This record gives sequence, C-alpha cells and structure tokens, in this order.
Amino acid sequence: MGCMTKNPVVRRFYLRTLAANAIYIVLTICIALYFYKFHPHGPLATALALLPAVALLGFIIAIGLYLIEDKDEFQRNQMVDVLLWGLGGVLVFTSAWGSLETFTHIRHLNPSLTYQIFWLCVAIRTPFLLRKYR
Amino acid sequence: MGCLQTNPAVRRYFYRFVPTMTAYAVALLVAEWAIHRFHPRGALLYGLAVLPAVPIIGIIVIVGLYLAEEKDEFQRNLLIQTMLWGLGAILSLTSVWGWLQLYAHVHPFQPFMTFPLFWCFQAVATAVLRWRYR
Repeated sequence: MGCMTKNPVVRRFYLRTLAANAIYIVLTICIALYFYKFHPHGPLATALALLPAVALLGFIIAIGLYLIEDKDEFQRNQMVDVLLWGLGGVLVFTSAWGSLETFTHIRHLNPSLTYQIFWLCVAIRTPFLLRKYR
Repeated sequence: MGCLQTNPAVRRYFYRFVPTMTAYAVALLVAEWAIHRFHPRGALLYGLAVLPAVPIIGIIVIVGLYLAEEKDEFQRNLLIQTMLWGLGAILSLTSVWGWLQLYAHVHPFQPFMTFPLFWCFQAVATAVLRWRYR
C-alpha cells in the first residue's frame, strides 16, 4: 500500500486504522476490567459488549474511505486483494473450526477472535503481496 | 451485477459461484452424514470435518477472478462495497456475540455460521446499494 510518507491518502488510511484499532484495544481492556470488577447484567452488559464493535466499524469505514479517496487503481486493487485474503481466511478458519467443534469436540472458539484472525490473515498476505510487486 | 445474459464477467461469476456454493452445501451434508453414519476417528474424522471449508476457498477465488475480469468499474466497486459491508457486519456481530458470551453468558455462537451469515449481510448490502443506485 505504498510509502506512508509520500501518499496522503495512505497516510490518512494508516492514521484512521491506527486510531480505530487503538480505540478497539482500549475499549476491550476497559470493558473487560469493568465486567471483571462490577459484573454488569441486562441492557448495560449488552451496551458494553456493543462498544468494541463501534471501533471495529470505524476500521471498516477507514477502508471504505481509502477506496474512495485513492485514485491509484493499482494501490486500490492491492487493498482489495489483502481484504479478500483476510475475509477468506476468517471464513475458512471459522468454518473449519466450527465443523471440528461440532464433530470432534475441540475447544470452543470465542467469536470475538474473528477480528484478530482477520488481521492475522492480512498480516500473512501483505509481505507476499509486497514481494510480488516490489 | 447487471443482467446475467449480457455481461460475460457476471455470467462466468455465476457459472463458477453456483456450483461452488452447491459443493459447499453438499460437502456439509456429506460430512455430517458420514460422521454420524460411520463414526470415523483420527485423521479421517478431521478430514471430513474440514471438508466443507474447502469450497469456501473456491468462493473467495471466484470473487477475486470476477474483480480481475470485470471491466465495468461501477460493478466492480459495487461488489467491493457489498463485500466490505458484509465483512464489517460479520466482524461486528461476532465481536459483540463473543463479548456477550464471555460476560452475559448468552448461547455460544457456532463459528461455522460466519460463512452463511456473511452472505446474508452481503445480500442485504447488495439490495440496499442496488436500490440506492437504481
């Protein structure tokens, strides 16, 4: 996705993504601590559980804005490529794990881990993509 | 994605997509039937459990091929947007559910549901965007 210092669109994307992920991490830690200490129930528990998803949607909006703002089709295609790998990785991993859970009784996968799995798949794909087009 | 008869990229997309999705459904049914009928153990059990995840790789490849082959930038962007909405929705849903599972003790989310749910969200996004751009 190019050099961060040269392309203002990429710079904005990185900053928005970093902000969204920082908020996600902070919210996750704060909510976990709150649940651990105060054991909320009912609507408050639901509202607190919804909060990290807001930060996650911020990341999706950051991608959408990047795809709108970047005029370089090559860079945009690279982003779509990485996203498809991330999405594919999540879908394949969760489907395989879900079947294994049902039939072989392996440990239950907490669904909140899908976001981390998505990033892991993106991180695996990115060096290969950069190497391919270097 | 326009009229099936006029756009060759869309036609190819559907000709690839429908059999692969059918293969997914068949693999799911075959795996479930074989595991319940023959009670396999070890590697065979794991192989059968993971079998439905294989067509999902095919689906992602098909989406990638469509994006590479489609010459109409508007149609390409439409698919990218719907995939992005689907991705955002599925990551948000699993994230929220994961938190509720951990702290509000809701019913455990079955990870293999991410794939069908992703396509449900993608279908809703497609309908909304088509209505918007009609």
